[in-house]
Amino acid sequence: MHEWSIADAVVRTVEDMMEGREGRVSKIVLGVPRISFLDVEILIEAFDELKKNTSLSDSRLEVNIREPSFTCQRCGFVFHLNDIKSQVDDLRSEFGEEYPLHLIPMLGPSFLTCPHCGSHDISGNDDIVVERVEIESTVKPS
Amino acid sequence: MSAKGGVGKSVISSLLAIALSRDHDTLLVDLDIHTMALPKLFGYDGVLHEVSKEGIIPFRIAQKLKLLTLGGVVKGRTVILPGRNQERVMESLLGTGAIKEDVIVFDLPPGLGDEILVLEKVTDFLPLVVTNPSTLSVRVVEYLLKYLEEKGKNPLLIVNMSFMKCGSEVIRPFGSLNEQVSRRGLQIVELPMDETLNRFVGKIQEYRGNLLDEMYKLSSIINERMR
Repeated sequence: MHEWSIADAVVRTVEDMMEGREGRVSKIVLGVPRISFLDVEILIEAFDELKKNTSLSDSRLEVNIREPSFTCQRCGFVFHLNDIKSQVDDLRSEFGEEYPLHLIPMLGPSFLTCPHCGSHDISGNDDIVVERVEIESTVKPS
Repeated sequence: MSAKGGVGKSVISSLLAIALSRDHDTLLVDLDIHTMALPKLFGYDGVLHEVSKEGIIPFRIAQKLKLLTLGGVVKGRTVILPGRNQERVMESLLGTGAIKEDVIVFDLPPGLGDEILVLEKVTDFLPLVVTNPSTLSVRVVEYLLKYLEEKGKNPLLIVNMSFMKCGSEVIRPFGSLNEQVSRRGLQIVELPMDETLNRFVGKIQEYRGNLLDEMYKLSSIINERMR
């Protein structure tokens, strides 16, 4: 269900960005960390529904699923999702539909620890971000 | 907000939101992402927010009062976050919350951290700075008052636990407000102590004591200032 609010946030963000600018948005690339386990199909379906009657009605959403790479700020260990699979699986089974990293991926360090030293002080590219907006000119060449 | 902890920010924001919700659709937002007192005050500790197509649905406390808190995402789990994540977690909570209310009351953690930067980024606001009259609290809170003045804000200073009434006598257990602060020319609101408040932890929405009466007066001042 959270895919709809993400799609809504994308529409609002890009519409705000385009305010007062020339051109028509043709494509939006959204970076999504795999750890959020967002459903790409639902995300695109939601975007296609919510873009209707907005300035983004001719655009399409592309979702770039990023494999997060984490670095422990205490011991320097670099690790990936597979290395903390059991932690993530436990969290998903505890929270079910309301899995907190699905809602706010940046909460990761609260729930996950470095598999080497156990520290919560971990960093990674774990936020949902609009990576690219492609704009077509609407000004006819003279 | 306050630069000092333990001065009553969460209780005051809760009661103020209750008072404001008499006339306005009001949302209380818990930006104290680490200790989250608000779900404890309202009896929503360990309860998860529902999520709809519109985002995270705030708890409905009363007909015109809702509550949005990270506690409703993490279900009472400890939130420990590196500094770099804190600001973005607060922004995500606000960005994904289904917010439609006319009036929003933000409860901030103590200090001068990311929460003030987030608030400055997302909205214009009227700062309500909370202290108690003790010399140490007032001195610590002066850092925040100075910062807000530099930013061109005109905060309301709420002096919590200022006095208690014993018959016709008014007792000031912490003494009077430091003169230096009085000289700043801020609008000051003094609040009484109410020992019955403790009984309402978990059901503060049922509190009808004298602090709530003061909150109705405070909400009139706020309505006037926001006009």
